[in-house]
Amino acid sequence: MPELRENEQKTLLALEKLKGRASVEQIAKTAGLAHAAVMRAFLTLTENKLTRTHEKKQTIIMLNTEGESYASIGLPERRLLNAMVNLGGETKVNVAVEEAGLEKQFISVALGWLNRKGWATIEQGNLKSLKEPQQGDDEKLLKLLSEKGSLVVEELDQEFGKAVTVLKGRKLVETEEKTIRELELTDDGWNLVNKGIQVQEEISQLTPELIRTGNWRNVKLRKFNVEAPGPEVLLGKIHPAQQIIQEIREIFLEMGFTEIRGSIVQTAFWNFDALFQPQDHPARDMVDTFYLSKPNKGKLPDKKNVEAVACTHENGGTTGSRGWEYSWSPEEAKRLLLRTHTTAETIRYLSEHNEPPVKVFSVDRVYRNEKLDYKHLAEFHQIEGIIMDKKVTLRDLMGTLTEFYYKLGLEKVQFWPSYFPYTEPSMQSTVYVPELNSWVELCGMGIFRPEVLAPFGVKHPVLAWGGGLERLILLKLGLEDIRMLYKNDLGWIRRTPICQR
Amino acid sequence: MPTITLERGRFSHFVGRDLSVQEMVKWLPWLGTDTEEVGADYVKIEYNPNRVDFCSYSGVARAYRGLMGWETGIPTFTLKQGNITLRVDKSVAEVRPYVVSAVVRDLDIDYDVIRELMEMQEALHWMIGRDRKKASIGVHNLDSVKPPFSYITCAPDEIKFVPLDKKELMTPQEVLEKHEKGIAYKSEVDWASRYPLIVDSNGDILSFPPIINGELTRVVEDTKNLFIDVTGTELNAISRSLNVLVTALADMGAKVESVPVEYFDRILVTPDLTPQKMRLHTVYSNERLGLNFSDAETIEALLKSRLGAKQAAAGVVDVRIPAYRTDILHEIDLVEDVAIGYGYYNLTPTKPVTVTIGKQHKFNLVAGDVRQIMVGLGFVEALNFVLANEFDHYQKMRRKPEGLVILANPVSTEYSIIRNDLLPSLIKNLADSKHHVFPQRMFEVSDVIILNPDTETGTERKIHAAAVTSHPTANFTEIKSFLDSLLMNLCFKNVTTKETNHPSFLEGRAATVSLGDIEVGLVGEIHPEVLNNFDLENPTGAFEIDLQKIIDVKK
Repeated sequence: MPELRENEQKTLLALEKLKGRASVEQIAKTAGLAHAAVMRAFLTLTENKLTRTHEKKQTIIMLNTEGESYASIGLPERRLLNAMVNLGGETKVNVAVEEAGLEKQFISVALGWLNRKGWATIEQGNLKSLKEPQQGDDEKLLKLLSEKGSLVVEELDQEFGKAVTVLKGRKLVETEEKTIRELELTDDGWNLVNKGIQVQEEISQLTPELIRTGNWRNVKLRKFNVEAPGPEVLLGKIHPAQQIIQEIREIFLEMGFTEIRGSIVQTAFWNFDALFQPQDHPARDMVDTFYLSKPNKGKLPDKKNVEAVACTHENGGTTGSRGWEYSWSPEEAKRLLLRTHTTAETIRYLSEHNEPPVKVFSVDRVYRNEKLDYKHLAEFHQIEGIIMDKKVTLRDLMGTLTEFYYKLGLEKVQFWPSYFPYTEPSMQSTVYVPELNSWVELCGMGIFRPEVLAPFGVKHPVLAWGGGLERLILLKLGLEDIRMLYKNDLGWIRRTPICQR
Repeated sequence: MPTITLERGRFSHFVGRDLSVQEMVKWLPWLGTDTEEVGADYVKIEYNPNRVDFCSYSGVARAYRGLMGWETGIPTFTLKQGNITLRVDKSVAEVRPYVVSAVVRDLDIDYDVIRELMEMQEALHWMIGRDRKKASIGVHNLDSVKPPFSYITCAPDEIKFVPLDKKELMTPQEVLEKHEKGIAYKSEVDWASRYPLIVDSNGDILSFPPIINGELTRVVEDTKNLFIDVTGTELNAISRSLNVLVTALADMGAKVESVPVEYFDRILVTPDLTPQKMRLHTVYSNERLGLNFSDAETIEALLKSRLGAKQAAAGVVDVRIPAYRTDILHEIDLVEDVAIGYGYYNLTPTKPVTVTIGKQHKFNLVAGDVRQIMVGLGFVEALNFVLANEFDHYQKMRRKPEGLVILANPVSTEYSIIRNDLLPSLIKNLADSKHHVFPQRMFEVSDVIILNPDTETGTERKIHAAAVTSHPTANFTEIKSFLDSLLMNLCFKNVTTKETNHPSFLEGRAATVSLGDIEVGLVGEIHPEVLNNFDLENPTGAFEIDLQKIIDVKK
């Protein structure tokens, strides 16, 4: 015999009291349990063959508004007949209608039913009552419904069967189908009940008191539904974008790179001029770059560096380049802006560390004067890494990127020719994303131009690559709208899993 | 990025072989272009602004033939010496000092050619001309005017002509005021006392550069012969624009004739299509690319990139660069052409041998500690923009704006300043998350930027940590406990808090946080009026601290 829980025992006892068969509602009432508790108990009991279930369909019938009004003032034909009787049994239709106070729209209904029920005849506008009829079944049912509110059609006396059809036809009632579940004790169930059930109280929470006193031995601990979901708890969590930033930082660190972190506000000198971007380059326009109005001018570095940069722009300086062939303005270079790439900091770092080897990286904020939409942000993050050493090559750059992507779980990479103002040769890489079944452009890369390096005394090749972090995040999180990322919607952060992929 | 749509049939004609769309999609990217769109019978590509010669079918076709090995080496162009002259008046020096010119004859002009001419002009205006500032091109029907031509200036209302796309006569002044192009480009000339004009020997007006041509010289489908002017502020820029244009037209079957341009002190015969000379050292190329090419292999790759290449000495290659290649500034640019000629698809990755030891930045080490502690305390991290606005950060916080770093060209009212503290961002996050389950606890450890006149940029980037706790029973004591726990775990010692008045916090429930005698932050219960301003309904505790002090003691 299985061990029964408190609610199951109570259900059995209630069924015994109800003579072995009853509806869930009745059992719940008798046992003093909630409907759901009876249903749960019943599932276990049926599984153990102590009870069985019977389902029966019930039709509930109740009056609608019109039906209720008829229940109180009478059916139109009854009202008309009563008026005729009062007027002597034979009268003109209009006189009877007036006597009955019958509304216009009910006249034809009343006349029709007088005729159908054989209560009166109508000839040439004259009404003649044939008998003074007893209350019909339809009227009795109307009254009964009005008293009880609703009835179960299947439980009605047989004679009402026709009345139900009539009232339904006259659209005075509404019906509703319902499945009634009845439980019945099986023979096993009866055997158990007959042996007598002692209900034992159950305890759901084990308490320090019970543990300390040893009383836990004397109580029954309720079993829990181990399959049900637990109630929600709120956890502290790192922002999803930060998770991915950490992941990328770890990859760089594993690969032996040193992290750099520079100023977000930069002079145009470091952001553009030091990277050999001519002063009339469209990327320097106000429409692409955020400039500051307060403060608006910064300081230029060492005169030596500034002059070398100026010469390189104007005529190539010592590099053998033809340069950009214009007159370089120090004032333009002093303008303050929000950096458009982290490379502004990279070149500054190289200017201070020009002995090989150098391997540095950053994953940090950059800016573009752009209207926000689902694909674009004005503020976002750039991933950047560089390697400076005596003998590094373009193919080494490809190898480094292949490794970097592999660590991110991206195994197929392709490299294409491309163009960036401060690298030559330049490359673009695309990676195959299995989830999307397509190739996606990620990082751009190249070797820093001699015009960038020479003014700062860097004599060895510098491999550089960079790309947008957010694109990678969207891929990893499967997000469609980039704006969600920095909206900091608490619900979104709470439900975005920490472990991606 | 500039784009060009290559219709398959027309492109095949220029390449000289019948190509399929699939072949085009397969090979064009190896020239450094991006496939933007593929149609049933066309490919739209995006090209890089250094390759201005890709603005024409013939320009892309030249490179394509080279890449495929169907035609290699430097393309040659025939330039006939012409006798139509262009005289330059001294007065143009004040407004738009330079002009170069060419005559192009026997061009078969149809709808496609006119469209391509217009697209090339647009592309060159954008890439070299810096939106017509440095260089702008005028293409004219030579047969509708009478040479010789002159580049002169006139007073703004001195003459009248019918500008392109108009029917009535206008003075240059009226063009600047009324014509769409005049309105768009007037800043190029409206500061000058006299405006530039190109006129013929009858004084009829060809062009009012860089604004608009005259209707008189409009190029239509039966035009045969062209007169081209390029005016601008830099002679090199206009010469290069002209070279790209006339080489494309030559490849389209036209005959190009030079024009003697007579400046007051010299005569320039333009265009000058003489190839530029440069040397490439094979070792340099091999070192950058990671290849081990012989001189012959290097030369072969250069030829496929449509450059002239001949061995000068062992390890040295003489390179001749065609006039349409405006992007080669330095030997390194030839190295890239070796790689493109060889094919990027032939390059295999190698691993660099550079050995270094990685190191985190100490700011991020500390930020990582803060994250660990705050997450342990049950807080959710927010990551907000540094871009902010005065209304949220000051007015709604009941503060007077001061010490702001302000943007000169904000894109919207949402982002007009740079934040110098984190709390307003977090309060705003709470406002955006009102419909989620409480308690709500959020933190941020991130950037703020403050004014600091002693630095190079007049500003300083700092890292702060801030937190908010919001629910029906939040109060000072609760947030103070969280702060104490954070500071203890960060090894902050000698921490004291002292009552303070702060407009964003409730009186009597706000304190400064000090480390020894240096103030590092604030803790308190947010003022109900601030909560009202953000439409928040729950009491909210908050703190913010500057992490600089603990960063300073980190190694």
